[in-house]
Amino acid sequence: MSAPRNAALMERVPLLPTTVVGSYPVPEWMERLKTDYYRNRMSHAQLTDLHEMAIKAALRDQELAGIDIVSDGELRRDNDVDYFLARMPGVEIPQTAKEFYFDYYEARVPAPLPDRFDPSPLGLADDFAFTSEQTSGPVKFSFTGPFSLSRRIHDSVYTDRRELVLAIARVLNAEAHALADRGAQLLQIDEPFLAGYPDAVGTAIEAVNIVTDGVDVTWGLHVCYGNRYARPLWQGHYDFLFPAVLDATVDQLVLEFARKGYEDLPVIEKFGWDRTIGLGVVDVKSSQVETPDLIASRIRSALELVPAERLVVNPDCGLRNVTGAVARAKLEAMVAGTAAVRAELTPRIAPAPVNASDASNESPHEEHAETPESVARGA
Amino acid sequence: MLVDFRPHSRLRGTTPIDITTALVPVVEALSEDSTDLSKVRLVCDWVQYKENFRDVVALRPILARPERLPGNDPVVVPAGVRDDDLEVAVDVRRSAELPLKEHTAELLRERAAGGTGGRVLLEDWGAGSRSCIWSFNARYWADLALWEKSTGRGYEQALPGGESDARNHDAARDLIRKLFAVWDPLADTGALPEELYVVELGVGNGSQAKVFLDEFRALDTEHGRGYYRRLHYLMCDYSQHVLDLARETVAEHLAHVSSFTLDATKPRTSLGFLRYKVFLVYISNVYDNLPTDEVAQLGGRTYQVQTRAYLPPEEAAALADQANTTTDDLAALVHKLLRLGPALLAEAAPTHVADTDAAVAFWRAAWSAVRLDERYVPLAGLDLYELTPASNGEPAVSGEMLRPLLESGADVRMHVNNGALASFVDSLQLLHPFGTLICHDLFVTDVAAYRANFRGPGKYDGSVVNWVNGPLLAHVGRRHGFDVHYAPFAHRSGGNIITMTAQVRD
Repeated sequence: MSAPRNAALMERVPLLPTTVVGSYPVPEWMERLKTDYYRNRMSHAQLTDLHEMAIKAALRDQELAGIDIVSDGELRRDNDVDYFLARMPGVEIPQTAKEFYFDYYEARVPAPLPDRFDPSPLGLADDFAFTSEQTSGPVKFSFTGPFSLSRRIHDSVYTDRRELVLAIARVLNAEAHALADRGAQLLQIDEPFLAGYPDAVGTAIEAVNIVTDGVDVTWGLHVCYGNRYARPLWQGHYDFLFPAVLDATVDQLVLEFARKGYEDLPVIEKFGWDRTIGLGVVDVKSSQVETPDLIASRIRSALELVPAERLVVNPDCGLRNVTGAVARAKLEAMVAGTAAVRAELTPRIAPAPVNASDASNESPHEEHAETPESVARGA
Repeated sequence: MLVDFRPHSRLRGTTPIDITTALVPVVEALSEDSTDLSKVRLVCDWVQYKENFRDVVALRPILARPERLPGNDPVVVPAGVRDDDLEVAVDVRRSAELPLKEHTAELLRERAAGGTGGRVLLEDWGAGSRSCIWSFNARYWADLALWEKSTGRGYEQALPGGESDARNHDAARDLIRKLFAVWDPLADTGALPEELYVVELGVGNGSQAKVFLDEFRALDTEHGRGYYRRLHYLMCDYSQHVLDLARETVAEHLAHVSSFTLDATKPRTSLGFLRYKVFLVYISNVYDNLPTDEVAQLGGRTYQVQTRAYLPPEEAAALADQANTTTDDLAALVHKLLRLGPALLAEAAPTHVADTDAAVAFWRAAWSAVRLDERYVPLAGLDLYELTPASNGEPAVSGEMLRPLLESGADVRMHVNNGALASFVDSLQLLHPFGTLICHDLFVTDVAAYRANFRGPGKYDGSVVNWVNGPLLAHVGRRHGFDVHYAPFAHRSGGNIITMTAQVRD
């Protein structure tokens, strides 16, 4: 647990900070170009240039919408899995051509994954560095977690699948160290497949703790019910996460509520989650844009259970499946709705201006010994 | 001149088409006319539908210039493409029925004169899905009881084989066992919802529902999991009359059955509360009966096929006599019929139709007579052509979805099946993550098949039928995260029915 380091990040943002979960819309023209790459109609350098231009545009969109903590939109990634597995030491991709860029690779491990690898084995640190150079605000950097990645690997090597999950976690831990070394402050582990395997939550959390081990940043854990092609992959309730997730060394639990409803929120509180909640207030599986009033009402409902100091406001999941116009409108509504609630809270807690301090220069462990509640912005 | 003889398989066999009588007279008529033969396409079909919308010979203008792009940018026309301006279409099944050369020459003269040849036009040019033939189709389902009374036979008797595949017991058992195979492991992990929803779109007379429910109850008793108690079977149809009949058919299961009157192209308008909750969406012989456009790739350009419904001169004159009116006023009377239905038409226009029976007779005669003119209009861009409109919070399906089917550049004319596509996409949103959509229908499963056989439209009783573009639905399904498979209907051999199965990928 690392409440102080969470507080260090949160000092840079206002009360009820707004953020995204990770992915940003991939326009149809970009889908065609990404697919062209797999048909040898575009060079790797051209694809990289395309990605970087798209990331800059996504950052600009988020900033214009007023998002407090932005992301690169995961626009270099074809989907939530391939980018990591294709770069993971020891993982083989027998067929690297694709009919459609969004398709999953078929990945396999012919031998146990190596336990020694280069610094930044997946190259994510460079990705983060590029993004952070394009914006002055706080950046969330997300990557798919070891449990979900393991579900897309054909494995005939590990007799115990848990060992594969933990081996992947060790690679991700090395990458996380590299990310922190390059200045990352907020890292998020996404586990989109976990809800389909509730019996495996113990292994998943064990792996999460390997990923975060020794990496002194604010950690988020995002668990949703799937968002591939804007569809849920699973149905259920978040109670499956408990009590195992209480042992996760993460600061934020980023969850899907807007589509499913908020019935799970009391459950989470009941189980004693006393850290930050990333509150999903925007349904990313629908193109209907929520009104700021609706967003505000969802936040107000959550505030009846969770203090404002422990809430981050975000969409349910990544925005990749809606159009750019819808994404922008949803983010603007989210920011407006949040601002309305924030204004109601102002007499109680005065928000600090965005980026009021350069928290990256602080030593959070030394300077913030308080609980997250007591280090609320400006309090 | 380019000749496209599509039913080439009929040039061989025991009774081959005699090309000298089926085609040569048309070429002779063209060669004696002033038409620029370098810009003519001559296409031959075998229109298998006894009742259809085609004349034996039809002239179809091919327009040259698309509209300009947004912002007034010009449309880029690829270099080196053909520059056709006329398609002559011949139904070789019927080409021996009339003096082909003289008939073609007469049509060419009419075209040169710029007239309509005495036809009674029922509408202006437009996309096929907007034609009034779909109003006829809708009227048929709305007043099915009157139509059936008039013809003396039920709809199902009009189907090929005299019955729907929907009442096949083996097929139902197979389907139910697959559902149990999905439900059992979910139940074992506590992930099976209490309510188990099955939706049927287009229930016919309720036979499928009854077969399914009977078999379900029996198999569940054997299985011993108590699924029947949790089952909710939702019968949905455009026609309240059909639903009423279907409810009678499933009377012994009514505790598990609900019925909804809905437009099959937008099921979530009524069933939105079931998003991601339905384990089985079952559709039989519905998609072929929903509005469709056609697109064509001809000589390197992409066109929309526009249509215009009309009544041929002789039939129009007879119809006017029958309704005690003139051909000038006939179109208005037909539209009044389509708007009001035969019962109300008899009240609203008693001087034209004395009673409901007379109105139905007028309706049937008009339907029998109606034909479609066609022309090709260049598409300015696939992305400017909306295949389905935005609906129920979902974005429109863009014409870009056609690109993989057209990008080879090879000539092809195919259905877009806009109504089926809308229904399909909306239905996918109903499916539980472990749900399945099953559809029995007339599917074209390979784009190449459009080059060899006529795929509609035809007339089935009072309704319209078109084959469904399987590759397009499969592509759109894939872009929505579904694997879509086609296989011949497994429980009856020799028919044209194909089973489409859609399930979540990955």
